[in-house]
Amino acid sequence: MKTAYIFVNIALFLLLAPLFEGIIRKLTARVQSRQGPPVYQPYLDILKLLGKETINSADNWGFKIAPVMAFASIISVIAFLPLGSRANALSGYADVITVIYLLTLGGVSILLGALSSRNTFAMIGASREMVTMIMVEPVLAMTFILGAVKVKSLGIDATVFSVGNSGYNWSVFLMLAVYLLALQAFVGRQPFDIAEAEIEILEGPLVEYSGPGYGLFKYTKMLKQMFYAALFVAVFLPGFNTGFYAADLAIQVGFIALVFVFIALIGATNPRLRIDQAIRYYSVMILLALCAVGLSAYGI
Amino acid sequence: MKAAENISKKLKDRFGASVVKTESPYDSRLFVEIKKEAVKEISNELIALGARYLVGVGYDSIKRDGNLGMVHTFSFDRDDLFVCIKMAAPADSPVFDSITPDIPNAGWSEREYMDLLGMKFTGHPKPKRLILADDWPEGIYPLRKEVPHNLMPPAAEDVAYQLDEAPEGTTTVPIGPFHTCLHEPAHFAVYVDGETIKGCDYRGFMTHRGIEKLCTTEVSYNEVPFIAERICGICGSVHATSYSQAVELAAGLKISRRAEFIRTIMLEIERLHSHLLWLGVAGHLIGFDTVFMQAWRIRERIMWLAERITGNRKTYGMIVIGGVRRDLTPENIQELLDVLKKVEEEMLVVQKAIIGDTAIHKRTRGVGCITKEEAVKWSLVGPVARARGVDIDTRRDHPYAAYDEMKFDVPVFDSCDVWATVLVRIVETFEAIKIIRQAVDKMPAGPVMTEFDEAVKPLVHSISAVEAPRGEVVHYVITGEDNRADRWRVRAPTYPNLQGVPMMLLNDQFADFPIILGSIDPCFSCTDRVEVVDVRSGRVSVVGRNELEELSRKKNTGVN
Repeated sequence: MKTAYIFVNIALFLLLAPLFEGIIRKLTARVQSRQGPPVYQPYLDILKLLGKETINSADNWGFKIAPVMAFASIISVIAFLPLGSRANALSGYADVITVIYLLTLGGVSILLGALSSRNTFAMIGASREMVTMIMVEPVLAMTFILGAVKVKSLGIDATVFSVGNSGYNWSVFLMLAVYLLALQAFVGRQPFDIAEAEIEILEGPLVEYSGPGYGLFKYTKMLKQMFYAALFVAVFLPGFNTGFYAADLAIQVGFIALVFVFIALIGATNPRLRIDQAIRYYSVMILLALCAVGLSAYGI
Repeated sequence: MKAAENISKKLKDRFGASVVKTESPYDSRLFVEIKKEAVKEISNELIALGARYLVGVGYDSIKRDGNLGMVHTFSFDRDDLFVCIKMAAPADSPVFDSITPDIPNAGWSEREYMDLLGMKFTGHPKPKRLILADDWPEGIYPLRKEVPHNLMPPAAEDVAYQLDEAPEGTTTVPIGPFHTCLHEPAHFAVYVDGETIKGCDYRGFMTHRGIEKLCTTEVSYNEVPFIAERICGICGSVHATSYSQAVELAAGLKISRRAEFIRTIMLEIERLHSHLLWLGVAGHLIGFDTVFMQAWRIRERIMWLAERITGNRKTYGMIVIGGVRRDLTPENIQELLDVLKKVEEEMLVVQKAIIGDTAIHKRTRGVGCITKEEAVKWSLVGPVARARGVDIDTRRDHPYAAYDEMKFDVPVFDSCDVWATVLVRIVETFEAIKIIRQAVDKMPAGPVMTEFDEAVKPLVHSISAVEAPRGEVVHYVITGEDNRADRWRVRAPTYPNLQGVPMMLLNDQFADFPIILGSIDPCFSCTDRVEVVDVRSGRVSVVGRNELEELSRKKNTGVN
């Protein structure tokens, strides 16, 4: 049964991630007084891109392997996630450090693709992506460490269920707020879509990609988005256990949809920040996250 | 004493024999013929007296007297006076002193005539090609009368524009010829150090359509307003108005008051739509698409209104020499007032939202800063200048159409950045609404067209300026024979403003490039108007006379 959870995880993510992207697009359109594309548009986009010819504008292995690597790493991350409030067969084989590593690997793949495409815009995008990674990753790490401190374990299920098992306190609320404030940066949406800023650097790291490679990157981004939303729900909104796996899953998916509404609304009502402004913002986030961890060490 | 007499006396006293002749056909126009050796001193003196440089106009007069002529035009904004200094040099050695070292904004005007007329300007700091394609053969100067408008020199391989040398330690980021933040082709090489801009070189003029040459060789006076309107896809009426006014002045034609009021109303409708368009684009450029969509939704009402009044959403085709083509009916006016009411309500909401949005402040405050002194030195115009504390507005300073009767404020802000430009544009939409309401109230009855039967006297110089949404448009006309102009020079507001962009970019963040460039609302098609050169193939291609006639007739049919 525990092994089946892994496949349910992956299938659910692969199936629903484009739908949530579609919801974001539709909501953004409504905020902008537009009709917007149908919610299933992202599925069509991905299918279309995957069916196109591959153009290797930079003829080297790094350029070819990067999208696959990014996709593989996000799938592996998803496999570890204890969705539906249940640990799966893999949870015992890794700890939160593994998850963080795998997420970073996704970012590194984007850098690899950008740097091997040898395009000026991709280079600028890569440097921005790198800065974002360095500044945002700590916030994610703190979220896990907060749980780890609470339950004195780095195990994936132990940390993720820490709030569910030991209840809310001030440090959890602070961390929850920080997580929400950093969410747009996690998922690379406005005001933090700086690395891809299409108006200045033409989608930066992805500028040379087309067809299946581009499709995989897009898919990865949607999956990553859903992962961060799911992680938020799993860590901060536990306690809706019905005892039935399917029902638990459905409740969590409902919450994830709500998180996406939040992402869409913030994205539609903010301009893109500059990287220097974003760095200042991230620093504050890191400080607050550190405070939360400090508080939780004292059991506050 | 009148301002024109005053200036002409001052110049004569100071420069004596260098000033050959002065002429002032209207109180607001002064044409001074000078010896070319004195151009530097005289232009510097004019600037010292408070003039603002407008544009240079070169023309071919070889058939008449073997000379190439050059006119530098200046504006005295406080005295409602345009001063044009004319000079000439023999065609076999057309050498003038460059005034660019002192008046940087003359740089492009002079480079233009190096390309188009084969003039030489000694002391020019950057005598590079500006207008012609890189593979255009040396020694063919397309604006000379002997060169036919449809000449097609063969394309050459392996020629390219040599960019300025990049400052040490910088990387070159190519913006253009096609880039998402440019809506028309132009090439900027931006030299960045990390994310900081350290310099920039510009190569534009990729969409020359030969409009000036075409209109002085193929078509007649009355057809030009329709072509002039097509110089720009956004603010066409200003070109038609400015050209028509220049010809009317040259011919001594006074149009009916009602026509002047209708021109005013059309120009302000155009300003409303253009400001909203810009606001949307500015939102898009800082990655705020909600502003973009909402501004354009509001703008749509104005587009519909324009279609109801003129038959077209844009390119109204209303303004012709002698007046306007259609009258405004009482129903039009009622609709106009209804639309204004709705637009005003919605703009109040937008204004409140934008001014209260700290994120927009973050992206626009302190961005694209230049001082008031620099803005004056580079003769920047329009909202770009007004956002730097330079209090100029052609509508108030050189009233035309019915603006002399209108009461309106000219918003001037002194934070000298993009944010101030946003404010200027927003406030101006409300001022435009105010002006239209006044014009509707005061509009007298009468005919909308004044017929003019006499032939226009040849070789009369005439200048006219109109405040376009982006800044001041200047048209210079030299009348000719065969019922068409001998020379027609168009200067769009982007022409001076674009020259100031490298300065605004300096030491700003690369991420701010789109909004800084966007803040001048660049219109490359306006700027590029002169020759029809396809840069890629080096071929010159021109819309044929027949095609052109067909096009304008198509627009004519369906009109009563």
